[in-house]
Amino acid sequence: MTPDISPTTAVSVENLTKIFKIGMTKKALVAVRDLSFKVNQGEVYGLIGPNGCGKSTTMKIMLGLVKATQGRTAIFGRNSEEVASRNNVGFLPENPYFYKHLSARETLHFYGKLCNMKGSELHDRAEAMLTLTGLTHAADRRVGGYSKGMLQRIGLAQALINEPRLLILDEPTAGVDPVGSRRIRDLILELKQRGATIVVTSHLLEQIQEVCDHVGIMSNGQMVKEGKLEDLISVGNQTEIILEDASPELLEQIRGLINKNDQQTKLVSLGKPRTTLEKLFLESTTQTGDQEPS
Amino acid sequence: MTESITTQKYKAFSVIRIWTLAANTVTQLLRMRILAFLTVFSLIAIAAGFSFPTMSPEQQLKLLKDVSFGSLQIFSIVIAIAATSILIPKDLEDRTLYTILSKPVPRYEYLIGKLLGVLLLIGGGLLIMDLILSAVIWIKQSLIITGQIAALKQEQSATPENVAAIKMIIGKYGLTWGVHAGVFAVFLKASVIAALSLLISSFASSTLFTIVVAFAFTIIGHGQQLLRDWFLHDTLSSGFGKIISGLVVIICPDLKLFDVVDKVITGEIISAVTLASMGGMATLYIVGYTATAYLFFVDKEL
Ligand SMILES: Nc1ncnc2c1ncn2[C@@H]1O[C@H](COP(=O)(O)OP(=O)(O)OP(=O)(O)O)[C@@H](O)[C@H]1O
Ligand SMILES: [Mg+2]
Repeated sequence: MTPDISPTTAVSVENLTKIFKIGMTKKALVAVRDLSFKVNQGEVYGLIGPNGCGKSTTMKIMLGLVKATQGRTAIFGRNSEEVASRNNVGFLPENPYFYKHLSARETLHFYGKLCNMKGSELHDRAEAMLTLTGLTHAADRRVGGYSKGMLQRIGLAQALINEPRLLILDEPTAGVDPVGSRRIRDLILELKQRGATIVVTSHLLEQIQEVCDHVGIMSNGQMVKEGKLEDLISVGNQTEIILEDASPELLEQIRGLINKNDQQTKLVSLGKPRTTLEKLFLESTTQTGDQEPS
Repeated sequence: MTESITTQKYKAFSVIRIWTLAANTVTQLLRMRILAFLTVFSLIAIAAGFSFPTMSPEQQLKLLKDVSFGSLQIFSIVIAIAATSILIPKDLEDRTLYTILSKPVPRYEYLIGKLLGVLLLIGGGLLIMDLILSAVIWIKQSLIITGQIAALKQEQSATPENVAAIKMIIGKYGLTWGVHAGVFAVFLKASVIAALSLLISSFASSTLFTIVVAFAFTIIGHGQQLLRDWFLHDTLSSGFGKIISGLVVIICPDLKLFDVVDKVITGEIISAVTLASMGGMATLYIVGYTATAYLFFVDKEL
């Protein structure tokens, strides 16, 4: 343990470098380059960046699945190389896959037992997770026959089985339908309310924007921008007004007011706000993906 | 931090976790239909039991045991190598290892769980095969005895002494404790081979490589004694050959240790001491191989 870790740090990544040796020639591939960041307890931290920039590799090192070439990562102050550091952690890998011979319920029991859960505690928790991820209807089907989104859901359920204090989610909404991903978003916010820490990656920036407090933007294995979400995205000097049922006369008046009021204020745009594609999809589709197709 | 989220205590060694992994391995292998071998074995045993009516009774029983134990050995060795070699590469490829090892599961528990699963499966399979074999031998033996007593009666010489003599002679070649001891020895041999395959698959990069190397070692293991003698006493050759044979002697298990089938077939008694020392040797090999497998596996990149 290094002394500079405060008790409120959930994840610390210090000068992390990962070099893969690939092929017969052992050509070096630098996946992560001198990366450092901290995630405080109770925070939702979003890690974003282009494909192959090293997000998943960083997460795997945090979980001790891959060894760091240089530097170190720690979870709640414990080095990731210690098995005990994974005691209160839930991990959803990208494109998760499970034993195909097990059903969803058996899968959750399997992972629960690996977390030393048992008896009615495990049983209740597994049922709760099936409900939470909308898999109750398919709980007795073999995971081998699951669709991509369903695998993602069971992956999330398995990550949550032991009520982890830290949740590491690698593209949790990839392949999940809009209702499902909205539910994952709500879930992340709810878990945050309950005090959990969450590290999440996604290519859907809108979703990242909705849930994260802190964001780190990676590129080529390095951190290129990092900070509080508000600071990163707010356009400090603009204000948006959205009106309903406004008459043309009122709009004229507002225009007039702006022009009269102050020389510095300029009208940047005024028009009907558009609905998003996501909203449109939600309004017009009825299948939610956690029911059987009707 | 609210109190609704509890902090669990971590245990460095958990029998429950190992058992969970082992039980899962057993179901996984069962659902791969790996025990279809059992049906084949039963057919072979039954065929061997009832298809050589022209031989002498002792010969018939010997042959039944010979053929059955032969197939018992082959099946258990094939299952030991094939099942063990598949497991780790499959978990790696399917990325199920990510989710398992991201739980507080030490890598040695994962290895022990997998090996235990294979051993349970082989043990269970052999137990069933032992029952089938015992039943076939017993039926065969009863038929022979009834037949011979009937023959004696025809010759008017079915005195109690003669009947008892027949029962004793045939009984010696028939169902004895030695049969079960023989099956146990087969189990020990298969367990050692499974542990060896686990060791190979902990560093090998392909299933095929693991299977081929494990089979090679199994074959060499049966002649390990010869190799060892040559290594220890041959003073003429030197250098490279010596190093290689030395390595093989160290790594390769002496599988002849577990060959008691000849004794079983001739009805010799296998002493408890022999069984215990075989058990001890097997345990040493298994522990040694698993520990070495861990050394490779602990640093493996997933
Ligand atoms: N096991 C491995 N062996 C060799 N190279 C690897 C390995 N794992 C990852 N890499 C390489 O490391 C780099 C980073 O990969 P990583 O999976 O971390 O990217 P990512 O940021 O998660 O991308 P994506 O957005 O596509 O998920 C890539 O160039 C990848 O090819
Ligand atoms: Mg990734």
